[in-house]
Amino acid sequence: MIRHHPGDELLLACAAGTLAAGEAIVLGAHLEGCAQCRASVRLFEAAGGTMLEAIEPALMLPEALASTLANIDRIPAPVARPAKVPLRRPSLPPGVKWPRSLAHCAASRWRWMGPGMRWSRIRVPHDPAAKLFLLRIGAGKSLAKHTHRGRELTHVMCGSFHDGRALFGAGDFDAADESVRHQPVLESDGECICLASVQSPLVFDGMIARWVGSLVGI
Amino acid sequence: MPTSDELIELVNAVALRSDRGAFSALFKHFAPRIKAYLMRSGMAPELAEELAQDTMVNVWRKAASFDSERAQVSTWIFTIARNLRVDHFRRAHLPAAADDRSAALGADDLDPLTLAVHDAPGPEEEMIAGRREAAVRNALRQLAPEQRQILWMSFYDEQSQTRISDELDIPLGTVKSRVRLAATHLRRLLQGIES
Repeated sequence: MIRHHPGDELLLACAAGTLAAGEAIVLGAHLEGCAQCRASVRLFEAAGGTMLEAIEPALMLPEALASTLANIDRIPAPVARPAKVPLRRPSLPPGVKWPRSLAHCAASRWRWMGPGMRWSRIRVPHDPAAKLFLLRIGAGKSLAKHTHRGRELTHVMCGSFHDGRALFGAGDFDAADESVRHQPVLESDGECICLASVQSPLVFDGMIARWVGSLVGI
Repeated sequence: MPTSDELIELVNAVALRSDRGAFSALFKHFAPRIKAYLMRSGMAPELAEELAQDTMVNVWRKAASFDSERAQVSTWIFTIARNLRVDHFRRAHLPAAADDRSAALGADDLDPLTLAVHDAPGPEEEMIAGRREAAVRNALRQLAPEQRQILWMSFYDEQSQTRISDELDIPLGTVKSRVRLAATHLRRLLQGIES
């Protein structure tokens, strides 16, 4: 059961098309499993439609309709779809699926970032600068205490953790910012994999944690 | 101003009969509004003109996929224009050496909601149909004027919240909490209509 959902401001930003590419992917992963949030996004899209009706119209060029009518007959140039090269991605535990929002993204192999902790960098083809990654943490482990500059969005793909504020499990969504300083601690029910986007590197407490943070660039 | 039933008729005429007269009527109604929306989103007039025309070309090509049970015409056209805008900014920011996988992605390939729905939508997703448009308008009228303004501005602007903060001369944190309030209030009003 999903207990934690994105806030309305994020669902509205999704409907408005103003989320950064990496954030849209994390939110999309939540939407895939959450009919309630999908319905909310559709409501906000309906508000977008009503906004379009209410807006003061701009003046189109005099020849706009004629040139558009000429364009609708033109058969769209076939887009050169690249050969179906399978995306390079690391393996996931049995039963865990890649979110559909990552359909176009490759991901690095699992890299070590500490005992029982691995991570994978995700390449977003349409936004190479996106800071998007998977964290894979073993049962009972904890992540170093950290805070954020800007916004961190997280979608739990499997497993569960408690970060001092609440318990998060598969399908749950979390948004954290400067005001949140937390230390996610895993439950003992198995490893946890999260999809996360950050706007700028995390700020870890403590020397070693900082070193590990700078090592993995998250 | 055409009624929402008339708009549905026009889209159906385009879908079933490739009716250019119906398309022209849709164009006259929506193209100037799409252009205005894109300009308020921070786009230069020439570019907004071009993308407004592109949006209408897409309306012609996709008319058969329009489903009046799921969305009103203006909502459907809004999402087409929105996806083209997102796609435009994505391409504009791509480095020249970007791989062809990215170049091949279309404007609709990246919409989180489209990607998320792979099966037919469940009952709770049955959308505000076109005939309930008036109810949506009513719900929006019930929002306090400043909430409506905040909500509209969230749709318009790329850097919406920072710009809202400057334009209204209120701190960014206040904008964020007002957007949250306006959005939550609207969702409650609309869900009241749904249930």
